[in-house]
Amino acid sequence: MMVGSVWLSKTTMAGVTVLCVDPDDDERVATREAFDVTETETVEAATLEAAVEALRAERVDCVVTEYHLPDGTGLDLAAELRETAPDTPLVLFTDASPSHIETGGYEDLIVEYLPKDMPESRASLVRLAGNLVEQRAQVGYPLPSDEDERLAALEQYDVSGLEAVDTFDRLTDLAARHFDVPVAFVGLVDAHEERFLACQGANWETLERENTICTHTILEDEVFVVEDTRADERFADNEELARREIRFYAGAPLRTRQGAAIGAFCLIDDEPRSFSEADRHVLEQFGDEAMEQLELRRRLADREQPTESTTGGDR
Amino acid sequence: MSVQKPVYGFGDLPLADVDSGTNILVTGPALGGIRTLVMRMLLCRRSDEGALFIAADTDGQKTLSDYEAAGGAVDPRRVGVVDCTEEGTADESHNVVSVGSPSDLTGVGIEFSNLYERLVAGGATNVRTGVYTLGPFVMYADAKTVYRFLHTLTGRIRTADGLGVCAIDPGTVDRQTLSSLAQAFDGRLELAREDEEIRVRTAGLADQPDGWRPIDL
Repeated sequence: MMVGSVWLSKTTMAGVTVLCVDPDDDERVATREAFDVTETETVEAATLEAAVEALRAERVDCVVTEYHLPDGTGLDLAAELRETAPDTPLVLFTDASPSHIETGGYEDLIVEYLPKDMPESRASLVRLAGNLVEQRAQVGYPLPSDEDERLAALEQYDVSGLEAVDTFDRLTDLAARHFDVPVAFVGLVDAHEERFLACQGANWETLERENTICTHTILEDEVFVVEDTRADERFADNEELARREIRFYAGAPLRTRQGAAIGAFCLIDDEPRSFSEADRHVLEQFGDEAMEQLELRRRLADREQPTESTTGGDR
Repeated sequence: MSVQKPVYGFGDLPLADVDSGTNILVTGPALGGIRTLVMRMLLCRRSDEGALFIAADTDGQKTLSDYEAAGGAVDPRRVGVVDCTEEGTADESHNVVSVGSPSDLTGVGIEFSNLYERLVAGGATNVRTGVYTLGPFVMYADAKTVYRFLHTLTGRIRTADGLGVCAIDPGTVDRQTLSSLAQAFDGRLELAREDEEIRVRTAGLADQPDGWRPIDL
């Protein structure tokens, strides 16, 4: 059946948390109750301040908000969200018509909009929120077509204590010396962030995925090179790259035997440079070595905990 | 649940029907007939269909007159335009809303969602969405915003069993940008023009004819 423009495809959203923001108690409770039916966890807030606090307290999967709040607007909240958890989808579920929504200064936020006055609007809202979460519909980067499988594979390789493995430190140290670059790292690209297993020459732990070049590398079959980030439309206006003085990037995707790209072995320089075919080949070998180490750790972890991690597609 | 999902047909264009929820990136030179091709792909073929334009290069009025010239019925209950041009004006009687600038992608998204809901509520349950073109958005917004906008747009179309047709002139963006934008789409329709001959070919779409084929626009 169809509710509004949104087809019903799932009946539960268990495990999903939605922040419901509405200054009107009755409206907010009605929204929460609509989500309750699908076993969605909800957090409630009546003001912008309370909503921002809720976002800081826990990571939610989706935000649903009225536009007019006593101390601001739903777009003020969206701006906060894009700063702290940029992948999280937000829906303006509102009585305000688009002509009453002031987008000045917020042109780059991108939110969903659903008018409250549509027939069965809350059923539509629940479905819309479910789809936004499932489809990762408001992320600011291209998504691999096999993203679900890729994340499942990553979970298999992301065994505890990986950060403490000296091998990755040695490999990145060797790579930095070989290529004469200030930074070399091994990064895993998870659902929302890139996590650095080893990072020679910089002290990076995580980076929001939309700010990483590796999220593009995992779409590639081969070594991905950006000789000058400022000359590439995809990265020229990325402030985070500028802040970290990333001008040159080369990354070899780390692929499981089944082909899922879970991360990358990368080189960074603070000035543009070229990268030859021979360089690409050597970087690929560094990547292969890192992947073999990850494979080894996964097998060890499997042996130690034979009842866990026997599911998933990558063996 | 057994619901017959609609498919979208294209009349005499050399394109097979596509499943509902399909998003197609149409690429070709601006002067090669791509605008006419988008207009014809947006023609409603059934009484429960609607058409929604996101007009970034030309205003709402011109969009509707071109649609009419291509054979479209300009019925405000079934057809609407989000006019993103700077000189655009709203025209309620023709279901044209104005955003004021192609750089305001938040505003474009909100107006699009609102119009989509209104068309569906009015009985046009299967909406064909046409974006002509993505060029100004790519030019004015940063890359992260464009990806976010495209995911939101194509996600809404996919979920609502609509059809998405987004055009871009590959001459206006670099090759890498085009290839990462294409990631948000199910497939691609490429148009090429040599002298007087216009040809198209598809990639990534199921059950389409192979290779280049002539098209009469």
